[in-house]
Parts: sequence; C-alpha cells; structure tokens
Amino acid sequence: MSHQPTITDNLQFSADSKLPQILFGVGITGLLVSAYGYFTNADQFFFSYLVSFTFFTGIAIASVFMVMFHHITKSKWGVVVRRIPETFGANIWIWALFAIPVLLGIHNLYHWSHEDAVAADKILKGKSAYLNTPFFIIRQVIYFAIWGFVGHKLFKASIEMDITGDWGISSLMRKVSAPAIPLFGLSIAFASFDWLMSLDPHWFSTMFGVYFFAISFQSFWAVMILMVFFLQRSGYLKNTIGQAHIYDMGAWMFAFTVFYAYIAFSQFLLIYYANIPEETIWFYHRLEGSWKYITYGLLIFRFVLPFLILLNREQKHRRNILAYVSILVVVMHFLEIYWIAMPTLSEHGIHFSWIDLSTFLGLGGIFFGLFFRRFKQNSMIPEKDPKLGACLEKSYHQ
Amino acid sequence: MSAETKKMYGILAEFNNPRQLIDVSKKVVELGYDKFDTYSPFPIHGIDKAMKLEKSKLGWIVLGHGLLGFSGALAMMYFMSVIDYPLNISGKPFFNAPAWVPVTFELTILLSAFGAVFGMFFLNGLPRFNHPLFTIERFKRSTDDKFFVCIEATDSKFHADQVHEFFKEAGAAYIEEVYE
Repeated sequence: MSHQPTITDNLQFSADSKLPQILFGVGITGLLVSAYGYFTNADQFFFSYLVSFTFFTGIAIASVFMVMFHHITKSKWGVVVRRIPETFGANIWIWALFAIPVLLGIHNLYHWSHEDAVAADKILKGKSAYLNTPFFIIRQVIYFAIWGFVGHKLFKASIEMDITGDWGISSLMRKVSAPAIPLFGLSIAFASFDWLMSLDPHWFSTMFGVYFFAISFQSFWAVMILMVFFLQRSGYLKNTIGQAHIYDMGAWMFAFTVFYAYIAFSQFLLIYYANIPEETIWFYHRLEGSWKYITYGLLIFRFVLPFLILLNREQKHRRNILAYVSILVVVMHFLEIYWIAMPTLSEHGIHFSWIDLSTFLGLGGIFFGLFFRRFKQNSMIPEKDPKLGACLEKSYHQ
Repeated sequence: MSAETKKMYGILAEFNNPRQLIDVSKKVVELGYDKFDTYSPFPIHGIDKAMKLEKSKLGWIVLGHGLLGFSGALAMMYFMSVIDYPLNISGKPFFNAPAWVPVTFELTILLSAFGAVFGMFFLNGLPRFNHPLFTIERFKRSTDDKFFVCIEATDSKFHADQVHEFFKEAGAAYIEEVYE
C-alpha cells in the first residue's frame, strides 16, 4: 500500500539561520566564565563540568541507540524524526574533545587516582587493576572511538541515501547496528562506572550501567519531543511530522518513565534490603541533609507525576502536556546526575554553585550549536528512505 | 414483516475486501444507523473511526481494578505486618514501604490484567452459547476471506426494504435476512 511519498514541506533548515552561531556564542561564553571558576574553585569546577558533560553525552549516546533500534527492527513509525538523533550521533567524535577536561581534573574528581591514597587503602588496592589513571584514559578513548565511529557511520550512510536514493544502504545500516548494540550496551555501562560510580570508589552497584542508560534514554525522548516542537514552532515539517508520530514519541517517553522507575527502584531496594554497610552508605548520604529533598523529588517528579499524567491515551496527544512533562523530565535528569555526583563533593547538603549553571550553558551551547550546524546542512528527514511512504501514511490515518 | 413468525435479528451483507467494508461503514453511519456491526477475519486499521465507535470503557475498568490491587496489597500487608503479626526483621520498621513495593506492584498488575480480560468479556457480552448470525452458512467465511456488515432490526431507523436497497447500492456480494 506504500505510495510515492508526497511531502508538502520544505525539508531544508534555513541555511542563513544564525542559530548555530548564537548557540556557539552562548557555549563559549559559558565555558570562559566556567574557566574563571576553575581558578577560584577547581574542585567545584570539575564536578560541575562532569555533571553537565555526562548529561549531554548520555543524550548523545541514547540518540545513537534509538537510531540502531530503528534499523534493526526495520520500524516505520519514526522515519520522519530519525534525522534528529542521527545528527546528535554524528557529532560524538567531536564531542570527545570535551572529555579532556574530565581527564585533566582526574585528581580533583576521583579519589582513586591518588596513588598514596590507594597505597593506604586495602579496598582501593584491590580495585587498582581497573581503577588506575592510564587504563581510565585508554577506556575513554575506546568508548569515544566506538560511539564516534558508529554514530558518524550511521549518519553518513543515511545522508548518502538522501543523495543516491540507493535502498541497499538500509541493509548496510542494519548490519552496522546489530553488532553495535551490544558494544554500546557494554561501553555505556563501563563509562557510567568510570564517570559517576567511581566518584565513590568504595561503593559499587552492578545495576549502575543499566540505571545510567535508563535515565539517559528517558530524557532523550523528552529532548526529542521538545526538539520536534521547536522545529514545528519555527515553521518546519508541520505536515510531515503528524499527530501519530508525536503520540508515538509520547508513548516511548511513557514507557521509559516506567522503565526508569523499575531500574532505579530495583537498585535502591536491593541495597536497602540487604543492608550491607559498604553499599548502603551511598544512599545513606543521599537520604541525609538537604539531599533527601532531591531523592524524594526524583520519585515524585521523575516517575509518579509523569506516569500519572501520561497514563491516559488522550494526554499523549496533547502537545502542551507533552511539552510540560518533557521539560520536567529534562530538569529532573539534570538534578539526578547532580544528585549522583555532587554528594561526593558536599556530603552534608545541596550546595548549588554558579559554576553548575555556567558549565551547563557552556556545554549545552556547544552541544546544540554542533547539532544545528550539521542539521542545517542536510535535509531534515531521510527523504529517500524506503519506509518513508509508510511512515507518512501513518499521519493520514489519524 | 409482521407476517413472519420468527423475530428478525437484522440484515447481513457480504463484501469482498476491507476497503469496501470501511466505505460501507462510513455510509451506514451517515444514514444514521447506530445498531450495526462489522465482521472481518482480521483487524482493519481505521475501521473504528469509520464506524464512529465510542471510546472503549475498558481503560476505566482496568484502572479501577489496578487501584483495587494497589490499595488491597497495601491493606493486606499493613494488616499482616503491622497489626496482626508484627515481626522484627533485621531491625527494619514494621511499616516498611520500600519492601512492600514489589508485592504492591505485582498485585496491581495482576488485578489490572484480570480487569482487562474479564472486562473485555463483559463488554462483549461473553460468554454466550449462540449468536443468530451463526445460522447463516456463508457467515462462516468471516473467519476466512469475506467481510460482513449487519444492521440490526432493533435500530430505530430499521426498515428491511430500505436496508436491502442500501446494501444493493453499496455493492454487496450477497444479502440475507437473519432471524433469531
């Protein structure tokens, strides 16, 4: 039943749009201001930087995940929105540059990087085969090599299909995606161990990798929904991305709200119930002082509210509801990473710093600047994809 | 019609493809019939819209059951571990909310599933022993390769001649009156 796709929209993001320059401006200003923070309070700078860095990197990796799931399931529904995550993924190899400050701040961030501390600590000595500076750096290179290569490869292949219209590229993309999914699964888990879990090197949770994936993937859908609304508000793709596609993204966000709660709570419950001091200490810090407000806030604003709001089918059709829930999820995602990382620095309570904001704006400006710079160079949808016709037809049924 | 000894259930028309079924359903709705149903060997995308079906109440039934499971589980565990038989388990509180979550979750899901399955039976009027349409030999092909519409005699606008006429115009492959 697949007809020749008829698209009435302009598929080119305005080439003279100043958006990338503006975003780069925000980004560079943010980073320069943060650099001043480095000289006044280096520890605070590196922790703030790490929070924002993992926030955006998680979203970029989740984007590539979405593209890969899309290819291996040959799914039709999301062809019209696929170019957005593809573009996020294509920038990961450039984004690797922003991992360098984390490496420079290794002594400020990670207790295990101090050799004298390791020598005096039996547990850290036992972990030193994995937690040591050279291996940490090697691992960062491996992660970004995998993510950068796959993300860029899938993007390039998709762009090539735009130009040549060769449908054989679909099977190439499937062949890249299938083996890359387990690689991504492992690398995102180990990356989360390295960046966030090893901040408290005595503590461990075997679920932490899945947990980091779950939080990133949930907020990735929120970012996708907001991005689509932004494009449509700017007058793009109004007839191409229809109500059915918006609904599907809402359904994904709902599904991963539940998945997030399942994983995050499972991690908490096992540690709580086993009640082993070396494990409970991590949650103990986070249920003390003002940190407990974020702990309960996550439960309510990241799971209960979005779950109840999105449960009803009608709500996932309402744009303003989806937009509010997405904003809520993104804010809570930032707070959650903040809540994972920061208690290492200030054990007794929340201590917001202006550097948190400046690094977030800095890295966010660069992240979205890179996105729009690439996004405006190409068509906003994979216009010659074999499944595009079926995807557009979905809109007409609504 | 009044001469018939048996009571008429409705008039059945057979069509050859799902597209026709959707078009006919739209026309039936336009003419103002509301007691009719369509029968097809497989689910047809968009048929619910063409028939102007109301939104199913099943969701509310499932929600009710889910809430019952949720509160029932909490009430049960509260009675057992706080009121009736409090046990000290490694110094944890008797009212131990985190530990109760798995059971609460499972019972919510279990009762929701019951609500969905049995609520579906209830809304469809199942189980029942027989249906007037089963007396029609050709209707058996509704599970194979034919598509049927039946306008029921209880509809306020039902006049057998008009319905016959309408189905003929709509291009039905076969029309038959169904008696209870």
